[in-house]
Amino acid sequence: MKQRTSGSPQSAPRAVPERSFEKTILRLVKGGPERMALEARQIDAIVDPASGSAILLPEAQQALLGRGAGRAEPIAIAYDWSWIQDESARFISHTIATPAAARLSDQAILGKALWDLGIDNLHDADWQAHRQQIAWRAPFRDLELRRRDRDGKIHHLAVSGEPLFDEQNRFKGYRGIVRRMAAARRIELHLLEHRRYSQRALDGLAIPVCLLDAAGIVMLANRAWHGALGGPAGYGLDAREGDDYVAACLAARGDAAIDGAPAAAGIRQVIAAERQHFRYGPAQASGPGGIWIELDARTIADGGRARAIVTLRDVTREKSAEKLLTLELAVARRLAEAAERDSGLQAVIQAICLSQSWECGRFLRRDTSAGVLRQVAAWGLSREAIQQFLDKSHGLVLRQDAGLAGRVVDSGQPVWSHDAAFDSAGSSMALPPEAGVAGSIFFPALHDGQTLGVFAFSSPGVGEPDERMLHTLRSIGEQVGLFLQRMTALEGLRRSASHYRKLTEISSDWHWEQDRDYRFTRIDGSGPFGARSALGLTHWELPDVVPLDPQWAEHRTRLAARWSFCDVEFSAIDSIGNRHRYLISGEPVYDDAGLFAGYRGTGLEVGIRRKDAALGDDDATR
Amino acid sequence: MAAKRPRRAMPSVTSTPVMVMVLYVADGGPNSIQAQANLDLICKEHLNGNFLLEVVDVLQFPKRALADGIVVTPSLAKSSPAPAVRIAGNLSDQGSVLRALGITAKNP
Repeated sequence: MKQRTSGSPQSAPRAVPERSFEKTILRLVKGGPERMALEARQIDAIVDPASGSAILLPEAQQALLGRGAGRAEPIAIAYDWSWIQDESARFISHTIATPAAARLSDQAILGKALWDLGIDNLHDADWQAHRQQIAWRAPFRDLELRRRDRDGKIHHLAVSGEPLFDEQNRFKGYRGIVRRMAAARRIELHLLEHRRYSQRALDGLAIPVCLLDAAGIVMLANRAWHGALGGPAGYGLDAREGDDYVAACLAARGDAAIDGAPAAAGIRQVIAAERQHFRYGPAQASGPGGIWIELDARTIADGGRARAIVTLRDVTREKSAEKLLTLELAVARRLAEAAERDSGLQAVIQAICLSQSWECGRFLRRDTSAGVLRQVAAWGLSREAIQQFLDKSHGLVLRQDAGLAGRVVDSGQPVWSHDAAFDSAGSSMALPPEAGVAGSIFFPALHDGQTLGVFAFSSPGVGEPDERMLHTLRSIGEQVGLFLQRMTALEGLRRSASHYRKLTEISSDWHWEQDRDYRFTRIDGSGPFGARSALGLTHWELPDVVPLDPQWAEHRTRLAARWSFCDVEFSAIDSIGNRHRYLISGEPVYDDAGLFAGYRGTGLEVGIRRKDAALGDDDATR
Repeated sequence: MAAKRPRRAMPSVTSTPVMVMVLYVADGGPNSIQAQANLDLICKEHLNGNFLLEVVDVLQFPKRALADGIVVTPSLAKSSPAPAVRIAGNLSDQGSVLRALGITAKNP
């Protein structure tokens, strides 16, 4: 079987002036058999790999020109006018061949080159290719131009030309013809131009966009779409023009980052105009630091073949910001729930690690009096290397001016390193190589501008934080600073309360606490009554208290007003009839929410009157 | 632009493998015309219709030639049966061409 090739013709052949011929040919023909054939004058053309063109040898060129001359007659019938150009590609003559061409032809073209004629459909690259053809003295065929006539009407023209040589084979210019193009070709060109315009408009968009037809086939995709690598599977990002986009989504079903089936179903609905808008995701591309993509499909009304437009939006920044905000809230909650300092810090470290997928973190509390940082809390993944490292660093003490942690103390600003080994202040801050950790970040816990401690996190994912991340680190640092300050204050209060109790034990006989109904909940020390029998009673309900209603009534009024009271006196008669005098003092107690919780205070026995003594005389006074 | 000239295939009547060839020409070039004529003769006399031949005009399809590693035209490339062979020139030395193609010349 013998057949011709099919497909689009490539660039036109070129004819080489004889002068530069030898050099060009010798450069191109390197193989032995080819050279032998060349020397035997059995070769017609050389194919130039650099330009992708065929170079005709002079004899073949002459033969082709001779054939062209033989065909001149039928060609002449088909053209609207002919022209001749000089060696500089300037028109030096033109001849009108048909009446219709009279409107198009213009004497003003004489002296001008083709690219000087205000052709509006060719671009710089097109003209560059054409001028290259001229430089190579190559024939050109059907160069498609769009030009307005004298009345402003647009005409589509096809220009062809071939080089002219004199008898000494010297280049003398070009001669050629111009034809008005057929209506079908004009429409085709118009559509091509329209498509080119649409393509450029889409390419101008930074986000990936594609147009789908009624069958879900990608009609057009912009440059961002073609360059969108690394997106999550299931979004059909690998679909190209002519591919079935819906099928591409479905192909990712099962082992993809997202299930492409819902995306495909939604897009089918949009194409069928069953819904105007469909949004899916966002989903994250697999791998560390994978971007977040959200799919958006909309119905196109009156869009011809195009039925839907699909856009993919990179929402990584929004997702990251959302995650960081969630982290800030989580840290606030953990701190609010923390009863102890170290457990609260550990909970914060855990929250940060889980949120950012970091492997481990520690908190070093600053001891300004000793000038050191002491590790007081840590958390890490349950990997063996991580846990061993955390075990070894338990109780770590560092100089507060050493390493990256020291820089944080000094500056009050976060610092980071892509290489954990960079923290040369001590291997104690850097994870061992077997942990596979590559980066670390340190940031301070601050209160009133003072660095109270330093967080240190290590993980392969740790890198230079962006502005939003820095904001979060500062926010967490301030929250923790407040927490540490609150814990310090609470510790002081506890110490103060303990101290108070010790003092009252010295200056009073008993210490008491009451609930909001003034009933005893606790009694420490000796009193006129057993602690057990008094619990659940008020002062005025105590057994053997001498009822002095007006006095107790006044006292209860003060209690209701939440006043403190001092040295309120009352009496009680014991089982053998002796009368005891007591002084009580107290102050209201409020809970963390500021609600009244009861009273607490002290009691002191100040005198006793024996049963047989006269009323009004005390035989013993303290 | 060169006209297309589809050629009729002759059915294979022997059990020998079909010879698959591509002739790269510059259509209208004197050597190319001669190469086609020489190859036609070889096919008629020695291959008895047991061949597939594709003619590629490098003036129209230079990139096809480049992709096939062809630098000069005319060139004949035989891809099957092995070994693959390339012959540059107008194929006027029939003896050399037959040897290169692995065809044993018929006795007169």
